[in-house]
Amino acid sequence: MNAIIPSEHKIRFRFVGRGTGITAAVLMIASIMLPWAYTGAALDDVSYWASPSPLQIYFAILAGLLLVLLAVPLVGKERLGKYAKLVAWNSAAKVAAVTSTVMAAVALISIALELGGLINVMIGAWLALGGAVLSIIATRYLPDSPEPRLEDVASPRWLQILAVAVIMAAGLFAAATALGYDDAGSFLTFAAFLAGVILVLKSFGFFDWLSIAGAANNRVLVLSAFAVAFAFPFTQNGSDANMSIASQVLIFAATALGLNIVVGLVGLLDLGYIAFLGAGAFTAAILSESAYSTVNWHPPFIVTVLISGTVAATLGLIIGAPTLRVSGDYLAIVTLAFGEIFRITMINLDGNDGPNLTHGSNGIPAIPDLNFLGFDFGVSHVILGVDIGRFANYYWLMLILLAIIIVVFTNLNHSRIGRGWVAIREDELAAEAMGVNTFLLKLLAFAGGAFLAGLAGAVKAHHDVSVTPDQYIFLESAFLLSAVVLGGMGTVLGVLIGATILKLLPEKLRFFSDYRLLAFGLLMVIMMRFRPEGIIADRRRALEFHDKNEELAEEVEEELITHHAHLNPDPKGFEL
Amino acid sequence: MSSDAVNPAAVAQLPASGVPILDARSVTMQFGGLRAVNDVSLQVHTGEIVGLIGPNGAGKTTFFNCLTGLYKPTSGSVQFVGDQLPPKPRLAVRAGMARTFQNIRLFHNMTAIENVMVGMYVRTQTNALDAVFRLPRHRREERESLERARELLAFVGLTGSGDQLSRNLPYGDQRRLEIARALATEPKLLLLDEPTAGMNPQETRQAEELIFKIRDLGLAVLVIEHDMRFIFNLCDRVVCLVRGEVLVEGPPAVVQNDPRVIEAYIGMPADSSSDDSGQTPSVGGDDNA
Amino acid sequence: MPALAVGTDGSARVKKALDVELFFQQLINGLSLGALYALIAVGYTVVYGIVQLINFAHGEIFMIGAFGSFATWVIVGKPTDWGLGMTLGVLLPVMLLGGIAASVTVAVMMERFAYRPLRGAPRLAPLISAIGVSVFLQEAVRLFFGWIPGMPDAKSAIPYPTLTGVSDGSIQIGGVTVQASAIFTLVALAVCTVFLWYFVNRTKTGRAMIATSQDPDTARLMGINVDRVIVAAFAVGAALAAVAGVAHGLRYGNIDFRMGFLAGLKAFTAAVLGGIGNIYGAVVGGLVLGVTEALASNYLGTTAWKDVWAFILLILVLVFRPQGLLGSKAVDRA
Repeated sequence: MNAIIPSEHKIRFRFVGRGTGITAAVLMIASIMLPWAYTGAALDDVSYWASPSPLQIYFAILAGLLLVLLAVPLVGKERLGKYAKLVAWNSAAKVAAVTSTVMAAVALISIALELGGLINVMIGAWLALGGAVLSIIATRYLPDSPEPRLEDVASPRWLQILAVAVIMAAGLFAAATALGYDDAGSFLTFAAFLAGVILVLKSFGFFDWLSIAGAANNRVLVLSAFAVAFAFPFTQNGSDANMSIASQVLIFAATALGLNIVVGLVGLLDLGYIAFLGAGAFTAAILSESAYSTVNWHPPFIVTVLISGTVAATLGLIIGAPTLRVSGDYLAIVTLAFGEIFRITMINLDGNDGPNLTHGSNGIPAIPDLNFLGFDFGVSHVILGVDIGRFANYYWLMLILLAIIIVVFTNLNHSRIGRGWVAIREDELAAEAMGVNTFLLKLLAFAGGAFLAGLAGAVKAHHDVSVTPDQYIFLESAFLLSAVVLGGMGTVLGVLIGATILKLLPEKLRFFSDYRLLAFGLLMVIMMRFRPEGIIADRRRALEFHDKNEELAEEVEEELITHHAHLNPDPKGFEL
Repeated sequence: MSSDAVNPAAVAQLPASGVPILDARSVTMQFGGLRAVNDVSLQVHTGEIVGLIGPNGAGKTTFFNCLTGLYKPTSGSVQFVGDQLPPKPRLAVRAGMARTFQNIRLFHNMTAIENVMVGMYVRTQTNALDAVFRLPRHRREERESLERARELLAFVGLTGSGDQLSRNLPYGDQRRLEIARALATEPKLLLLDEPTAGMNPQETRQAEELIFKIRDLGLAVLVIEHDMRFIFNLCDRVVCLVRGEVLVEGPPAVVQNDPRVIEAYIGMPADSSSDDSGQTPSVGGDDNA
Repeated sequence: MPALAVGTDGSARVKKALDVELFFQQLINGLSLGALYALIAVGYTVVYGIVQLINFAHGEIFMIGAFGSFATWVIVGKPTDWGLGMTLGVLLPVMLLGGIAASVTVAVMMERFAYRPLRGAPRLAPLISAIGVSVFLQEAVRLFFGWIPGMPDAKSAIPYPTLTGVSDGSIQIGGVTVQASAIFTLVALAVCTVFLWYFVNRTKTGRAMIATSQDPDTARLMGINVDRVIVAAFAVGAALAAVAGVAHGLRYGNIDFRMGFLAGLKAFTAAVLGGIGNIYGAVVGGLVLGVTEALASNYLGTTAWKDVWAFILLILVLVFRPQGLLGSKAVDRA
């Protein structure tokens, strides 16, 4: 990208470039005062003069960021002081130009598609796109900034906490808004806006600074994240449709996190992981008070959920104990075969080909809602004046479960056991020769991951109302795996993001749902090729995948040392 | 301590007293038709440095692997601290035997201090529940491990390199780190597989001092090495393996001048006195399994 | 459920009596089924021998071969079209060539874009990429096969053409019925094995393949173009899988975008059974697996559990006999 313009041009034309860029940004902001579409049926109505819709305002925010990034350096290097070097003004402006072009293009295409042709696209949208393209050309003529070092800025603690809180609030707002869009065009335009803002902040150096700030205020970060997630149902005004999606995302994310222990931390490829979710779900369904339950014992849910986890973990032990000795590729095939055995067995336990336990491929329907000490999950409750529906109840339950899984994941990772796992991943033979009980540690990860999936499965059974074997096919395991790969193996945040993206996109983009698996197959290939460490990279994982990249190794080390300089040497993890 | 303080002749007079910590009897290792190790017996006592030399393919590393539980000998027995050695590397470590590798096998993407802490795995008890609930045992062991790892890094001369990724360490430091990691398992016997391979003379001298320091802690040390000057300076006793069999065993001065040893290294005079560069011609090559 | 069922054709299942005829019937069924597995298994083993990669998407290459031959038939052999007059002797080879062309093209592209960039990466990377390719190919056929002019929609099973004399005839030998498609499969396996033997031992590329499988670095130093050898390995495996695809279509009378999953897994079992990396082992492993499956499903339990038995066999082989029955090539998967 940078090679297009010779660097002597960048020096000669830098003022022209900056001036044109600022003009373009102003044009883009002005464009929201003009109508973008001929009628109001597209993008939440963008057909008015001088009355911008929310999406148009978001576009103006992105353009405004571009304007600020271009304008601030005008005050001169002297007055900017250290901020002239610590912040990547020009690089961030380039990113802002590109992302606002993408957003304008997405909006324009959505208008054209939804209203039936480019003829319906009005002057405003063309001005927005034209301005954005102009800004790309203009910013190409700016010299590149050095790498941002914003994290070197010493910041007061209140500012760090404020930043964490603002980010959390913005995240809540973004999630609520994104879920609120029902048509694909608006959703994609908003997604382009979000991606744009995130990329601009990233190139600005903001996230490096935030990770230091967040790590220094770990507890604030974690607590506020959960507070925000907990508050989410209140933004939905009792909309069960959105809460249903949100609770499904959480179930999916919790399962993916369990898989992440096995794949991300220990490096064992488990292709039958969905079977453990299924084992938990079937156990819970059979022990539930459904009329189709095949067992005459219906313990309270707190017992059921533990039994579900135990059943799944036992299956994990049964399959893991003999097979974890064969390592690598063979394990992947063995787990895949196990997943299929589970599914076929669930189909065959129908009273014909085996004892009747599951009603075969019909599964167990009509699983009643949970009831905790009189709190019925199936009915709505009014809390603080907001209607909290059935799915919101399950959402909260899953949130608690997810919190438990995150604590287990993080605390195990930052312990003697976690170090053993990394050692196994790096060099299993050397680990064994250093006294690490590699077999036991692998089995622990395998059975532990299965246990967590079993817990999630138990909730899923009640959430879904019915459990059938065809929900637990191999493709679902592959789908879970792609969430882990996309988000970033070995990370919590990455997998949460990956799971959210993979579950949310097909829900919001209906036209896309038939192509869902095609896209995710392709996604796995592309990720392995270009970014095997995922969206959020675990540092060590990134190094493993880029084994010959010495530059990266030094960068990571620098980062480690900076982190140490900023942090107290307190070991990481959550106190309980 | 300088290497001059230990005169090979002087050490040779030290009596090898007490019960041997390692007692290998008639160890034989057969791979198909190849007898890599044939009827080798070896005893090592506490506070003793024993050298294992021999040309390439003499079976030195194979013998090492038999001692550390990586291979199960075809016949013969290995007694360690009076007990039969368990046939698993992990259990051998638990019993008090630690090793380094000929081709360094550190955990490359872990920091130096993490590498050492992995070595402590076998001496810590934190289980999954302790870790998940951050119980006192976990906290105490983490604190102690971190402290002990720092001490060990300082002991091998890597103070201040704790946060460096092991792959970024210089070659000589990687060898030291491997020794620190082995020491973290709290061994009674340390097995070093070519600890100076690829080192320059200065680094070799430092390695020598380090091994003396380890011996002074009360450990027994068994060293495979090709560098003759190094081995004859260092060891109390030297065993020469040729074609899987013990050719000569005795004090360095004796082995050094044994015509059979010289013959085994034909074209490579096993002479350490005439070389003024400090770099004895070592019998090159690497693998001898 | 993909239609790779155990041969239950003919009159053999009238009674489950343990008589000699029934045994031979099942033996023949098993052998022809095994020949199918063997043809696919060669692809796993050739690729593994050279790049130590389990080409997880190989089952899909088999499926692509079947669809390729079907498409060829639609173009040149469908009775309503101009190709009406084409005789069997021409039509069958043309269909085979069409299938081979499709699967080889896809396999070579897969190697180029999904695997080659990942050489030298941690083992997890190519494996995950392979799963991605597998899902992608299945979905691509399901969604887009019907978009090709003249092709039926592939979202459910497509009936495969009946070729007079190859897929509908049968021979009686005593009380044993031998389906013509079984004869085709067995003959195809025999021809392919001879071809493989010739290719590996008598051609330059084949010998380069052997050299590369034993020591890629030295092979490279000796001037062998390792990239080309790897492509050749993928191509040979794909060609044989395409033959298996045609055999499958003729045997079961329909093809399905999911057919590669189960067939691929079983063929993989066969490859491991024969010692992965050993080409002739794959052939033996395929035949052993086919016969075992046919006999087991006849004498043990209902057909509902037969895939479970196959998977349990797979797990047992991988755990207890990872070096295969012949044990010729030691595999250190640690």
